Amino acid sequence: MGNHARMERKYHLWFSWQYEQEERWINEMSRQGLHWKRGGVIRSEFERDASVRYTYRLDYQLGLGKEKLQEYLELYRDAGWEFAGNCTQAWYYFRREWRPDEDPQLYTDRESLVAHYMRLRRMITVMLLLNLIIMCLNGIGLLPRANGHLWGIYVPVLAIYALLFLLLGIGIVQINRKLKTISS
Amino acid sequence: MANLKGMLPLTEAFYYILIALYAQPSHGYGIMQEVEGMSGGRVKLGAGTLYTALNALLGKGLIDHYPGPEGTDARRKMYSITQDGRDTVASEMSRLEELLVAGRRIVHSEEA
Repeated sequence: MGNHARMERKYHLWFSWQYEQEERWINEMSRQGLHWKRGGVIRSEFERDASVRYTYRLDYQLGLGKEKLQEYLELYRDAGWEFAGNCTQAWYYFRREWRPDEDPQLYTDRESLVAHYMRLRRMITVMLLLNLIIMCLNGIGLLPRANGHLWGIYVPVLAIYALLFLLLGIGIVQINRKLKTISS
Repeated sequence: MANLKGMLPLTEAFYYILIALYAQPSHGYGIMQEVEGMSGGRVKLGAGTLYTALNALLGKGLIDHYPGPEGTDARRKMYSITQDGRDTVASEMSRLEELLVAGRRIVHSEEA
Protein backbone atom coordinates (compact mmCIF):
# COMPACT_ATOMS: atom_id res chain seq x y z
CA MET A 1 0.00 0.00 0.00
CA GLY A 2 1.10 3.53 -0.78
CA ASN A 3 0.12 4.40 2.74
CA HIS A 4 3.15 2.64 4.10
CA ALA A 5 5.65 4.35 1.89
CA ARG A 6 4.74 7.78 3.21
CA MET A 7 5.77 6.97 6.79
CA GLU A 8 9.19 8.04 7.95
CA ARG A 9 11.03 7.26 11.13
CA LYS A 10 13.06 9.83 13.05
CA TYR A 11 15.13 9.58 16.20
CA HIS A 12 15.11 12.40 18.70
CA LEU A 13 15.68 11.96 22.40
CA TRP A 14 13.86 14.27 24.77
CA PHE A 15 13.08 14.47 28.48
CA SER A 16 9.81 15.66 29.89
CA TRP A 17 11.22 19.03 30.99
CA GLN A 18 12.28 19.65 27.39
CA TYR A 19 8.84 19.16 25.93
CA GLU A 20 8.76 22.64 24.45
CA GLN A 21 11.91 21.92 22.45
CA GLU A 22 10.34 18.67 21.26
CA GLU A 23 7.25 20.63 20.28
CA ARG A 24 9.37 23.03 18.25
CA TRP A 25 11.14 20.14 16.54
CA ILE A 26 7.86 18.43 15.64
CA ASN A 27 6.46 21.71 14.33
CA GLU A 28 9.59 22.25 12.23
CA MET A 29 9.13 18.72 10.83
CA SER A 30 5.56 19.58 9.93
CA ARG A 31 6.75 22.70 8.15
CA GLN A 32 8.89 20.38 6.03
CA GLY A 33 5.89 18.19 5.28
CA LEU A 34 6.51 15.50 7.90
CA HIS A 35 3.64 15.15 10.34
CA TRP A 36 3.96 13.36 13.67
CA LYS A 37 1.83 10.23 13.78
CA ARG A 38 3.05 8.21 16.71
CA GLY A 39 6.13 7.76 18.79
CA GLY A 40 7.70 8.85 21.98
CA VAL A 41 10.83 9.80 23.81
CA ILE A 42 13.27 8.45 21.25
CA ARG A 43 11.63 7.28 18.06
CA SER A 44 8.77 8.96 16.24
CA GLU A 45 7.00 8.14 13.02
CA PHE A 46 6.01 10.87 10.65
CA GLU A 47 3.68 10.90 7.70
CA ARG A 48 4.87 12.71 4.60
CA ASP A 49 2.33 15.04 3.07
CA ALA A 50 3.47 18.25 1.47
CA SER A 51 -0.06 19.60 1.10
CA VAL A 52 -0.63 20.40 4.79
CA ARG A 53 1.11 21.92 7.77
CA TYR A 54 0.12 21.64 11.41
CA THR A 55 0.79 23.34 14.70
CA TYR A 56 1.48 20.69 17.32
CA ARG A 57 1.21 21.05 21.08
CA LEU A 58 2.21 18.57 23.78
CA ASP A 59 0.26 18.33 27.00
CA TYR A 60 1.17 16.54 30.20
CA GLN A 61 -1.73 14.84 32.00
CA LEU A 62 -0.99 11.97 34.31
CA GLY A 63 -3.47 9.33 35.41
CA LEU A 64 -6.52 10.08 33.32
CA GLY A 65 -9.07 7.30 33.74
CA LYS A 66 -11.19 6.16 30.85
CA GLU A 67 -14.01 8.61 31.51
CA LYS A 68 -11.70 11.49 32.39
CA LEU A 69 -9.75 10.87 29.22
CA GLN A 70 -12.86 11.13 27.05
CA GLU A 71 -13.89 14.33 28.76
CA TYR A 72 -10.37 15.71 28.29
CA LEU A 73 -10.09 14.85 24.60
CA GLU A 74 -13.60 16.14 23.93
CA LEU A 75 -12.81 19.48 25.50
CA TYR A 76 -9.63 19.87 23.49
CA ARG A 77 -11.44 18.84 20.32
CA ASP A 78 -14.09 21.46 21.00
CA ALA A 79 -11.30 23.99 21.30
CA GLY A 80 -10.10 23.05 17.83
CA TRP A 81 -7.38 20.52 18.71
CA GLU A 82 -7.20 17.21 16.94
CA PHE A 83 -5.85 14.45 19.17
CA ALA A 84 -2.83 13.08 17.32
CA GLY A 85 -1.75 10.41 19.80
CA ASN A 86 -0.01 9.87 23.08
CA CYS A 87 3.34 8.72 24.32
CA THR A 88 3.07 6.77 27.57
CA GLN A 89 -0.02 7.61 29.62
CA ALA A 90 1.25 11.07 30.34
CA TRP A 91 2.05 12.97 27.14
CA TYR A 92 -0.75 13.84 24.77
CA TYR A 93 -0.08 15.25 21.30
CA PHE A 94 -2.54 17.65 19.75
CA ARG A 95 -2.49 19.44 16.44
CA ARG A 96 -4.45 21.88 14.37
CA GLU A 97 -3.91 23.23 10.91
CA TRP A 98 -1.15 25.79 10.85
CA ARG A 99 -2.06 29.37 10.14
CA PRO A 100 0.42 32.17 9.59
CA ASP A 101 -1.47 34.67 11.74
CA GLU A 102 -1.76 32.62 14.92
CA ASP A 103 0.33 30.86 17.51
CA PRO A 104 -2.26 28.90 19.49
CA GLN A 105 -1.31 27.82 23.03
CA LEU A 106 -2.88 25.30 25.36
CA TYR A 107 -2.07 27.38 28.41
CA THR A 108 -3.08 30.99 28.00
CA ASP A 109 -2.48 32.42 31.44
CA ARG A 110 0.37 32.43 33.88
CA GLU A 111 -1.49 30.61 36.63
CA SER A 112 -2.37 27.55 34.58
CA LEU A 113 1.09 27.40 33.01
CA VAL A 114 2.63 27.46 36.48
CA ALA A 115 0.28 24.68 37.54
CA HIS A 116 1.32 22.69 34.46
CA TYR A 117 5.02 22.99 35.27
CA MET A 118 4.38 22.12 38.90
CA ARG A 119 2.57 18.92 37.92
CA LEU A 120 5.59 18.04 35.81
CA ARG A 121 8.00 18.79 38.64
CA ARG A 122 5.97 16.69 41.04
CA MET A 123 6.22 13.69 38.72
CA ILE A 124 10.01 14.05 38.40
CA THR A 125 10.39 14.46 42.16
CA VAL A 126 8.33 11.32 42.80
CA MET A 127 10.49 9.41 40.30
CA LEU A 128 13.62 10.62 42.03
CA LEU A 129 12.40 9.60 45.49
CA LEU A 130 11.12 6.27 44.23
CA ASN A 131 14.50 5.44 42.71
CA LEU A 132 16.26 6.54 45.85
CA ILE A 133 14.14 4.14 47.88
CA ILE A 134 14.71 1.30 45.40
CA MET A 135 18.43 1.95 45.48
CA CYS A 136 18.50 1.86 49.27
CA LEU A 137 16.45 -1.35 49.41
CA ASN A 138 18.76 -2.99 46.87
CA GLY A 139 21.77 -1.80 48.81
CA ILE A 140 20.45 -3.24 52.06
CA GLY A 141 19.74 -6.54 50.31
CA LEU A 142 23.20 -6.77 48.81
CA LEU A 143 25.29 -5.45 51.65
CA PRO A 144 25.35 -8.58 53.87
CA ARG A 145 26.68 -10.58 50.95
CA ALA A 146 29.21 -7.96 50.02
CA ASN A 147 32.64 -9.39 49.45
CA GLY A 148 35.39 -8.72 46.99
CA HIS A 149 33.81 -9.80 43.74
CA LEU A 150 30.49 -8.05 44.36
CA TRP A 151 32.16 -4.70 43.80
CA GLY A 152 32.03 -5.52 40.14
CA ILE A 153 28.27 -5.18 40.39
CA TYR A 154 28.14 -2.39 42.94
CA VAL A 155 30.20 0.14 41.07
CA PRO A 156 28.35 0.04 37.74
CA VAL A 157 24.95 -0.02 39.45
CA LEU A 158 25.87 2.98 41.58
CA ALA A 159 27.18 4.75 38.51
CA ILE A 160 23.88 4.20 36.73
CA TYR A 161 21.94 5.48 39.74
CA ALA A 162 24.20 8.51 40.01
CA LEU A 163 23.52 9.31 36.36
CA LEU A 164 19.80 8.88 36.85
CA PHE A 165 19.74 11.18 39.87
CA LEU A 166 21.84 13.73 38.05
CA LEU A 167 19.44 13.68 35.11
CA LEU A 168 16.31 14.00 37.26
CA GLY A 169 18.04 16.70 39.30
CA ILE A 170 18.77 18.64 36.12
CA GLY A 171 15.10 18.28 35.21
CA ILE A 172 13.96 19.78 38.48
CA VAL A 173 16.45 22.64 38.19
CA GLN A 174 15.29 23.36 34.64
CA ILE A 175 11.63 23.46 35.66
CA ASN A 176 12.43 25.70 38.62
CA ARG A 177 14.19 28.05 36.23
CA LYS A 178 11.13 28.16 33.97
CA LEU A 179 8.85 28.80 36.93
CA LYS A 180 11.07 31.69 37.98
CA THR A 181 10.94 33.18 34.48
CA ILE A 182 7.17 32.98 34.35
CA SER A 183 6.57 34.55 37.74
CA SER A 184 9.05 37.39 37.37
CA MET B 1 -18.14 38.24 52.95
CA ALA B 2 -15.74 35.46 53.80
CA ASN B 3 -13.03 34.38 51.43
CA LEU B 4 -14.62 31.06 50.57
CA LYS B 5 -12.07 28.26 50.47
CA GLY B 6 -9.19 30.66 50.01
CA MET B 7 -10.03 31.23 46.35
CA LEU B 8 -9.88 35.02 46.35
CA PRO B 9 -8.67 36.85 44.40
CA LEU B 10 -9.89 34.78 41.48
CA THR B 11 -7.80 34.56 38.35
CA GLU B 12 -9.40 36.06 35.26
CA ALA B 13 -10.05 32.58 33.92
CA PHE B 14 -11.71 31.38 37.14
CA TYR B 15 -13.79 34.54 37.39
CA TYR B 16 -15.04 34.46 33.83
CA ILE B 17 -15.80 30.73 33.95
CA LEU B 18 -17.89 31.20 37.09
CA ILE B 19 -19.68 34.18 35.56
CA ALA B 20 -20.39 32.21 32.39
CA LEU B 21 -21.88 29.37 34.43
CA TYR B 22 -23.79 31.78 36.67
CA ALA B 23 -26.19 32.45 33.81
CA GLN B 24 -26.73 28.82 32.85
CA PRO B 25 -25.04 25.40 32.83
CA SER B 26 -22.76 24.92 29.87
CA HIS B 27 -20.10 22.67 28.35
CA GLY B 28 -16.47 23.53 27.79
CA TYR B 29 -16.94 24.91 24.32
CA GLY B 30 -19.89 27.06 25.44
CA ILE B 31 -17.81 28.49 28.27
CA MET B 32 -14.97 29.36 25.90
CA GLN B 33 -17.31 31.18 23.53
CA GLU B 34 -19.12 32.97 26.33
CA VAL B 35 -15.90 34.16 27.96
CA GLU B 36 -14.49 35.42 24.68
CA GLY B 37 -17.73 37.28 24.01
CA MET B 38 -17.99 38.81 27.49
CA SER B 39 -14.43 40.10 27.39
CA GLY B 40 -14.83 41.53 23.91
CA GLY B 41 -12.41 38.96 22.51
CA ARG B 42 -9.64 39.77 24.99
CA VAL B 43 -9.75 36.57 27.05
CA LYS B 44 -9.40 33.51 24.85
CA LEU B 45 -9.11 30.51 27.15
CA GLY B 46 -6.67 27.89 25.92
CA ALA B 47 -7.83 24.31 26.13
CA GLY B 48 -5.29 23.45 28.83
CA THR B 49 -6.15 26.53 30.87
CA LEU B 50 -9.86 25.77 30.71
CA TYR B 51 -9.39 22.10 31.54
CA THR B 52 -7.12 22.89 34.49
CA ALA B 53 -9.51 25.56 35.78
CA LEU B 54 -12.58 23.32 35.49
CA ASN B 55 -10.82 20.58 37.45
CA ALA B 56 -9.72 23.05 40.12
CA LEU B 57 -13.24 24.52 40.41
CA LEU B 58 -14.74 21.04 40.59
CA GLY B 59 -12.23 20.11 43.29
CA LYS B 60 -13.13 23.20 45.34
CA GLY B 61 -16.83 22.52 44.92
CA LEU B 62 -17.51 25.82 43.16
CA ILE B 63 -18.92 24.05 40.13
CA ASP B 64 -20.41 20.61 39.59
CA HIS B 65 -21.16 18.20 36.79
CA TYR B 66 -24.55 18.85 35.30
CA PRO B 67 -26.58 16.04 33.79
CA GLY B 68 -26.97 16.94 30.14
CA PRO B 69 -30.39 16.98 28.50
CA GLU B 70 -31.68 13.62 27.33
CA GLY B 71 -30.33 12.49 23.98
CA THR B 72 -27.37 14.87 23.88
CA ASP B 73 -23.83 13.70 23.35
CA ALA B 74 -22.90 12.20 26.72
CA ARG B 75 -19.19 12.73 26.07
CA ARG B 76 -19.68 16.47 26.10
CA LYS B 77 -19.71 17.17 29.81
CA MET B 78 -21.90 19.94 31.15
CA TYR B 79 -21.02 22.03 34.19
CA SER B 80 -23.12 24.11 36.55
CA ILE B 81 -22.29 26.57 39.31
CA THR B 82 -22.89 25.58 42.95
CA GLN B 83 -24.06 27.78 45.82
CA ASP B 84 -20.44 28.05 46.99
CA GLY B 85 -19.57 29.17 43.48
CA ARG B 86 -22.24 31.85 43.55
CA ASP B 87 -21.06 33.06 46.96
CA THR B 88 -17.48 33.17 45.75
CA VAL B 89 -18.44 35.25 42.72
CA ALA B 90 -20.37 37.64 44.96
CA SER B 91 -17.38 38.05 47.31
CA GLU B 92 -15.04 38.60 44.41
CA MET B 93 -17.32 41.23 42.92
CA SER B 94 -17.48 43.21 46.15
CA ARG B 95 -13.71 42.93 46.42
CA LEU B 96 -13.31 44.27 42.86
CA GLU B 97 -15.87 46.98 43.58
CA GLU B 98 -13.86 48.15 46.57
CA LEU B 99 -10.72 48.32 44.43
CA LEU B 100 -12.53 50.36 41.81
CA VAL B 101 -14.14 52.73 44.29
CA ALA B 102 -10.82 53.39 46.03
CA GLY B 103 -9.05 53.87 42.72
CA ARG B 104 -11.70 56.15 41.25
CA ARG B 105 -11.78 58.32 44.38
CA ILE B 106 -8.11 59.18 44.00
CA VAL B 107 -7.83 59.26 40.22
CA HIS B 108 -10.97 61.34 39.69
CA SER B 109 -10.18 63.83 42.43
CA GLU B 110 -6.82 64.45 40.76
CA GLU B 111 -8.56 65.06 37.45
CA ALA B 112 -11.10 67.45 38.97
